[in-house]
Amino acid sequence: MSLDALVAYVVERLPELWLRTGEHLMLTGCSTLGAMFIGIPVGILLFRTTWLRGPLMGVIGILQTIPSLAMLVFLLALLKKIGVLPALIALTLYALLPIARNTLTGLEEVSAEVMEAAEGIGMQEYQQLMMVRIPLAAPMIVAGIRTAAVVGVGIATLSAFIGAGGLGQFINRGLALANIKLILLGAIPAALLALAVDFSIGAFEWGLRPERKRDKKGSVQSLMRRLAFMLPVVLVLISIITYLTKPGWISKSATQLKTGHRIIRIATKNFTEQLILGEMMAQLIETKTDLIVERRFNLGGTMICHGALVNGEIDLYAEYTGTGLTAILKHPVISDPEEALNHVTKAYHERFDAQWLKPFGFNNTYAITVREADAKKNKWNRISDLGNTAIELRAGFTAEFAERPDGYPGLRQIYGLRFGEVRDFDAALMYEAVAKGQVDVICAFATDGRIAAYNLKPLKDDRNFFPPYHAAPVIREEILKTHPKLGDVLSLFGGLIDNATMQRLNFEVDGKKRRTSEVVEEFLKAKGIF
Amino acid sequence: MIKLTRVSKTFDGGRSYAVKDLSLSVDRGKTLVLLGSSGCGKTTTLKMINRLIKPTKGIIEVGGKDVTDHNPVDLRRQIGYVFQGIGLFPHMTIKQNVEIVPRLLGWPTHSRRERMQELLNLVGLPAESFAERFPDELSGGQQQRVGVARALAANPAYLLMDEPFGALDALTREALQQQLLTLKNQLKKTIVFVTHDLHEALLIGDRIAILHEGNLEQIGTKKDILDTPATKFVQDLFTIKRPDTLT
Ligand SMILES: Nc1ncnc2c1ncn2[C@@H]1O[C@H](COP(=O)(O)OP(=O)(O)OP(=O)(O)O)[C@@H](O)[C@H]1O
Ligand SMILES: [Mg+2]
Repeated sequence: MSLDALVAYVVERLPELWLRTGEHLMLTGCSTLGAMFIGIPVGILLFRTTWLRGPLMGVIGILQTIPSLAMLVFLLALLKKIGVLPALIALTLYALLPIARNTLTGLEEVSAEVMEAAEGIGMQEYQQLMMVRIPLAAPMIVAGIRTAAVVGVGIATLSAFIGAGGLGQFINRGLALANIKLILLGAIPAALLALAVDFSIGAFEWGLRPERKRDKKGSVQSLMRRLAFMLPVVLVLISIITYLTKPGWISKSATQLKTGHRIIRIATKNFTEQLILGEMMAQLIETKTDLIVERRFNLGGTMICHGALVNGEIDLYAEYTGTGLTAILKHPVISDPEEALNHVTKAYHERFDAQWLKPFGFNNTYAITVREADAKKNKWNRISDLGNTAIELRAGFTAEFAERPDGYPGLRQIYGLRFGEVRDFDAALMYEAVAKGQVDVICAFATDGRIAAYNLKPLKDDRNFFPPYHAAPVIREEILKTHPKLGDVLSLFGGLIDNATMQRLNFEVDGKKRRTSEVVEEFLKAKGIF
Repeated sequence: MIKLTRVSKTFDGGRSYAVKDLSLSVDRGKTLVLLGSSGCGKTTTLKMINRLIKPTKGIIEVGGKDVTDHNPVDLRRQIGYVFQGIGLFPHMTIKQNVEIVPRLLGWPTHSRRERMQELLNLVGLPAESFAERFPDELSGGQQQRVGVARALAANPAYLLMDEPFGALDALTREALQQQLLTLKNQLKKTIVFVTHDLHEALLIGDRIAILHEGNLEQIGTKKDILDTPATKFVQDLFTIKRPDTLT
């Protein structure tokens, strides 16, 4: 890409970049502040109550080790909310450890001689703490805050998983679409932001240090000191202002006031196909109804989307029958597609007041996939055809597939297949590996665009081993009741997209790096829906 | 008046004694010097007087009242303490360090300021050039003098001084010793003064207590001790040192 194109690319996204940076800073700043308000008193408490140290530091330490996604899902279940609040709470909990620990260490490390003098000249206990111990521990405490804030900038990228915005939004979108430019658009500013935060707290610490006589009062340095001291506060204030004045926020709350319940919130998980389906539903609703669509795309996975739907934080997203059945309802696999759909429809209606609409048509299940040339040469059409030759083949599976009962272990049982060698791959690299001949068989996703693009052939699952993963819009019944027309509109998708079509759409976006909205619009026009 | 009656202190449950069965008293306006080798329990004795350390046994009285009947904070504010390790507050300027006790006692700002200037001049550190500095911008000896000024700041009736002039050159030390003598005579302070230095002990002390390994070897005036040493230890102390330290 030429430099001009790169500049144009960034300039085009500058307003959003500014907004996301503001959000990111707001998330980091507010959570760090929150962690200070809790962590410093906790550190002081621990310093004074020795027996509490083990248990309380243990709890704070454990909080730190909870994987961020699990934490977000847990908070979502607890608060019944997605967005900024759970993100702030999660970030605050993560920031607690460095602040509380450094406060404790800082207080402990004040020289015993100085403290003895403080006691010996007749300071009350709280005076010893406030006038001597805390001021002397301050650099250590600030160092803890600095660590917390810098690490916080990194963790805050995960906030995008639950729709809290921030630079993670670019990263998530980029990861979902396998678009490196987008990833960098989030990652580079995040790294710069971490440096800026580090610098500003460093400046704060410098400003905090007592002024020496040789620094001469009223000099430029003295002024700089005061400015440096204010820097983090100014940064956080700017970010909060950016956040509160962001165009979307104002216009949205205004429209929300005017239009009330006429907004429909559509979510997606964080991969290409989901973004395409979400955009498709959004565009359809925008053209066929007068509802206003709010896109809450790229949430961090099934549990978050489902949780948000159940809590009424979103109204609509596309789910897969197999996922609904096994991941959400914890039901054993049902191989018959029809029966699977019936089961989830009934269960969702009874348990979640949500409705499964007509499936899009394609089945995004696992597909045992080989190179087309090999298939032709060996006359492989069905998985059974691999038979005894399997032992001479090298397989490349995702780590998950290699372990899941509906993955390789089950495959071995049902088909009696045993591959000569099995290697673990990241999903994104698996396709390359088979195309380049590093492996012979992979566990592709049936609708992945790379199947067609790399001349691969999915083999027919002739023993119906893989559970069906038919995608369908899942919508809250309450919304359906208020806007009965929505059901009809979304039904236009019924059976519209087969596996080959979905493969092609996916490839347009993550292979050819085209914009999702453009690809969707083109598709809907071609189908005569617009 | 400070009075110790059969005071003992052990840090290890009685296996060894930092101070053993110590009885002594200092009359109002008088100075007692504690003299003894390193580790003989001098600092421990001072800390017990202002309740930084709790005696294992015995009674300590300050101003005729058992120290355990005093509120420890009030007690400490009436006793100026020059710590062996100086213990200036590193985050405070010299001015703030000297003013700290008056500040705790709620003196108005201007009297605090006056007192601070007076004291810094007294210990030979003119306020104009030293008040705004931080302790780490002073030499060891200068810090020690600030420690003395801090102890004197609130005009305490009692002074505990733990080797206050240890790090000073002979000239400065002599000047400060003279000032202390004047102060003591004018203001009638009751002082317990710890030193290793025989010459200093004889100069400053109205009475001298000689400690050895937690035991009191002898207590008495300069004359008592020089004329009738009570133990061999005391005798040796003076025969060895006599040629160069006695005047
Ligand atoms: N906190 C403590 N814990 C255990 N032992 C202690 C403690 N403080 C003092 N000691 C012991 O008590 C004895 C007397 O100590 P002290 O500090 O009173 O000596 P000192 O006469 O002031 O010595 P120096 O002239 O070296 O300052 C020493 O043997 C010392 O090791
Ligand atoms: Mg000592």
